[in-house]
Amino acid sequence: MLTEIVGKPVPRKEGRSKVTGAARYVDDLRMPGMLYGATVRSPVARGRIRSVTFGEGVPWDEFVVVTAKDIPGENAVALILLDQPYLASEFVNHAEEPILLLAHADKQLLERARRAVHVDIEPLPAVFTLADSLARTQTIWGEDNIFKSYLVDKGNVDEVWAQADLVVEGEYSTGAQEQLYIETNGVIAVANAEEGVTVWGSMQCPYYVHKALLKLFALPPERVRVVQCETGGGFGGKEEYPSMIGGHAALLSWKAGGRPVKIIYDRAEDMVATTKRHPSLTRHRTAVSRDGRLLGMEIEFVVDGGAYATLSAVVLSRGTIHAAGPYNCPNVRIRSRAVATNVPPHGAFRGFGAPQSIFALERQMDKVAAAVGLSPAEFRRRNFIRQGETTATGQVIREPVDMAGLLDRAFELTDYQAKRERFARENAAVGAGGVKRGIGFASFMHGAGFTGSGEDYLKSIVGAEADASGRVRILAASTEIGQGTNTIFAQIASDALGLNYDLVEMAQPDTGNVPDSGPTVASRTCMIVGRLVESAALGLRQTLQGAGLLADEYTEGDWREACRQYVERYGALKSFSQYKPPPGVRWDDEKYEGDAYGAFAWAVYVAEVSVDTLTYETRVDDFVAVQEVGKVVHPILAAGQIEGGVAQAIGFTLYENVVWQDGRMVNNGMTNYVMPTSVDLPPIRVHFEEQPYEYGPAGGAKGIGELPMDGGAPAILNAIEQATGVSFTHVPLMPEALMRGLSETT
Amino acid sequence: MRPFKYVRASDAAAAARAVAANPRAKFLGGGTNILDLMKEDVERPNELVDVTRLKLSEIKAASGGVSIGALAKNSDTANHPLIRRNYPLLTQAIVAGASGQLRNMATNGGNLLQRTRCQYFYDTAMPCNKREPGTGCGALEGLNRIHAIFGWSDKCVATYPGDMANALYALDAVVRVRGASGRERAIPVGEFHRLPGDTPQQDSNLAHGELITAIDLPKSNFAKNSYYLKVRDRASYAFALVSVAAALELERGRVKQARVVLGSVAHKPWRSLEAEAALVGGPASEESFRRAAEAALAGAKPLAHNGYKVELGKRAVVRALMRASRLA
Ligand SMILES: Cc1cc2nc3c(=O)[nH]c(=O)nc-3n(C[C@H](O)[C@H](O)[C@H](O)COP(=O)(O)OP(=O)(O)OC[C@H]3O[C@@H](n4cnc5c(N)ncnc54)[C@H](O)[C@@H]3O)c2cc1C
Ligand code: SF4
Repeated sequence: MLTEIVGKPVPRKEGRSKVTGAARYVDDLRMPGMLYGATVRSPVARGRIRSVTFGEGVPWDEFVVVTAKDIPGENAVALILLDQPYLASEFVNHAEEPILLLAHADKQLLERARRAVHVDIEPLPAVFTLADSLARTQTIWGEDNIFKSYLVDKGNVDEVWAQADLVVEGEYSTGAQEQLYIETNGVIAVANAEEGVTVWGSMQCPYYVHKALLKLFALPPERVRVVQCETGGGFGGKEEYPSMIGGHAALLSWKAGGRPVKIIYDRAEDMVATTKRHPSLTRHRTAVSRDGRLLGMEIEFVVDGGAYATLSAVVLSRGTIHAAGPYNCPNVRIRSRAVATNVPPHGAFRGFGAPQSIFALERQMDKVAAAVGLSPAEFRRRNFIRQGETTATGQVIREPVDMAGLLDRAFELTDYQAKRERFARENAAVGAGGVKRGIGFASFMHGAGFTGSGEDYLKSIVGAEADASGRVRILAASTEIGQGTNTIFAQIASDALGLNYDLVEMAQPDTGNVPDSGPTVASRTCMIVGRLVESAALGLRQTLQGAGLLADEYTEGDWREACRQYVERYGALKSFSQYKPPPGVRWDDEKYEGDAYGAFAWAVYVAEVSVDTLTYETRVDDFVAVQEVGKVVHPILAAGQIEGGVAQAIGFTLYENVVWQDGRMVNNGMTNYVMPTSVDLPPIRVHFEEQPYEYGPAGGAKGIGELPMDGGAPAILNAIEQATGVSFTHVPLMPEALMRGLSETT
Repeated sequence: MRPFKYVRASDAAAAARAVAANPRAKFLGGGTNILDLMKEDVERPNELVDVTRLKLSEIKAASGGVSIGALAKNSDTANHPLIRRNYPLLTQAIVAGASGQLRNMATNGGNLLQRTRCQYFYDTAMPCNKREPGTGCGALEGLNRIHAIFGWSDKCVATYPGDMANALYALDAVVRVRGASGRERAIPVGEFHRLPGDTPQQDSNLAHGELITAIDLPKSNFAKNSYYLKVRDRASYAFALVSVAAALELERGRVKQARVVLGSVAHKPWRSLEAEAALVGGPASEESFRRAAEAALAGAKPLAHNGYKVELGKRAVVRALMRASRLA
């Protein structure tokens, strides 16, 4: 047997082709007779379509034009509910909503034509804010503007207020955030009645697109095929949206008799029309004893879902479950709602609701700590959850967990205590307009995999096959989007079989060829799907051993020989593995109670900032991320996930401000939607603790993809509070808000 | 991008003639601005006259000062020993802009003529008098956080976004241009750009076909006490929210001569004679700088979303002067 590959920084599977430019992204593909597609969108946020007219000076007879009437199946994007149309036909519910599609071989002419289509819409009163939606100034969705609500109820919160020494209230909010993957959304489709529908594109979840196309075209599964091309980032932004743009291209191709149609959004369209992170509003009411023990928490969490339901119900679910964090509190009530507004639907974005509710929680914990006269650190130490205790949903933490240990480690690495004292001293001596410094932290957890019964419902499948030369291919719909899927799957499979890393490869995610291993979301790829990769790979060995072709101990040569003989005698060598929940997992969807996640990753993040009180510029000077993530499969990729997530969190906190006007993002360009560059980022120092998870692959890996998005905002605002003495409660915290906040107090 | 004709000019005269002959022709310098605008369909020239091969990239000592070729690269200009030694303010301003890669491509002439970063100017689906005269100004009612607080009109509220020109103004630079007829003119930097008035489509006072050949800097007494301060949303790849080019000539702790030029607050670099008057003759002290800052921003007329620029502008003036006089 070979030495272990898991835990080593082996080269990325697709690294070479990306670096040399050989990797093919969807815009690199060209097909004979290909047309380009464009989308005519609503200029207003809400209204009734009166008419569509085609302006002069455009040879309209050369164009393929698709309206809602041309849809062969159902005009609804199949996801959770069927409320979002592919093309609006009578009413529009958000600015930039697609109304009509055009295709032509000449891109210039296409753009001219797009502008020459005039849509006349009678405007209706619209709702743009969470508050207005809750107040129902207009009813814009269903009966009450509410997509989904949850209630988590642990203990008896109502009885706690009277006994509490102190009750602390707080209100917190977060803004929208754009995913800003490097590659914008794009697809190519070939569709006609004879051959069915095929879509190639940049995406996270081929089977989501597949499911949506079945409904849109009313076709059986075998007539629809979805293929993922090399994908330049997703961050959730390519979870649900490819179903929309993929459907659009397919509709145009269908109408054009099967000519290939390519749609690639430019940056402005991608930013203005596709999904963003849900804005949120959280209210906390916390009961504590004089000695700083949490007695009760009442939390109201609301997210803005935009105009259609899309994924809001599940974003809300994750935000709800994470809202009470890694603390032991006997009485917790969380009420949450996802509400409708007339803006483009908000969608999946790394963290999926958790960064929003964790931001509020951690800011509230700082406030409670101050109220009981404890340091933020001491207050948390007294309340951290321990093995055997229960989370808000009543999930018993079975694995060993040591939040206090993580806190100690993070403080040691940052010299937290000494710095906190030093900055306090130094800040007192800084005159008006000087630079003040602060250090702060946040402690949190993030669950991996689908929530509650989600994985059981998905029943993901992974396949593995070996050819006559002994090469192993993993068959999964889980996508490589820059995060390392191909590499870690190959590591896991090669270690399982004791084979060389180079002998294992990944099949291209193509619904015509790979089983449904579920979507590439929710920090589930490594932990959940990786485990299936491992068992599918082991299935190959069992088959060979069952056939008497392979001994218990074998060399790579023995393996190759066994495969050769097997394929010769019996044909294809394949093995499949399907998800089964670990024993003892219990979840009640009605009560929202039980084991919400198979495992949590645990973390403490520390940020150091300097605030220029003259220009209101804030810089994060240092950042330390300490987390316990089970077994680290690939140290460089794992650290890369954390660094990237922290960078994105810094953007969320200090830079990235979506500016809305009448329900439309008005700063939809990279010059005025400011994301941090490498020059703005501090050194991000990543430290892993490894506590193997019993049911994780490769000796106990857990999920880490979303975790690093959670802690940055509260840690940074905690540090800013030390620097300025002002506790801010909203992110992004722009210099203008800092100016207002500081001038109010001085 | 739309099709266009590409011409490589052999000498300055031919270049100027070629552009003058075609109202839809433009000069091509480093291309870092004009090509972007063409890709976004904001500018639609049908002919580009490439001037980068012209022998106009020399940086040399001339009549007590320095003459900088219009085609010298921003990087070469910033790093030139004569500039670093005698005009550090200019070096600071250039390196505060764009990124290393862009400065390696960008020319001084192109830098002066870079166009506004108003997002409505870039968004061809929106009205914009600068892009399409008569369509209206998207920014006036729209998002105008980065826009002007001085000298705007109801036709246009855009700012000139560049950094280099602010320093050049503080250093009393003169722009040399050459017309199609061969006529040469010298335009003080302060008169090179203009306010929008009723014709915002016109950024500068250059006539169509006039080629920038050089920028002349007179001998300067500001080398010891100058500072370029740029306040922005992030540390790289960002234009100024407010910038200040501050230059002082000090004599025994008192200000003998002063220049205060604010950037990104108007359609042109904005020199404050009021601030300079408040400084001259007074001490180099924080208190005096505060008075100058109040004077500099006294006439500001902010829009709906850029009120912060007034306070920020004051603070930036104070800090730039403090740093220029080495008090901070
Ligand atoms: C991402 C990004 C960030 C940036 N950030 C900053 C910043 O922070 N600060 C800053 O100051 N700038 C910034 N810039 C702008 C940059 O400085 C300009 O793009 C550059 O200086 C333009 O020079 P160029 O030679 O490439 O001009 P070109 O793009 O070639 O030309 C610009 C204009 O000048 C005209 N022109 C060129 N040469 C001549 C000549 N000799 N005579 C007459 N007309 C001429 C052209 O016809 C055109 O209209 C940024 C640019 C980018 C793309
Ligand atoms: S401010 Fe000027 S550039 Fe901007 S939209 Fe108005 S007219 Fe156009």
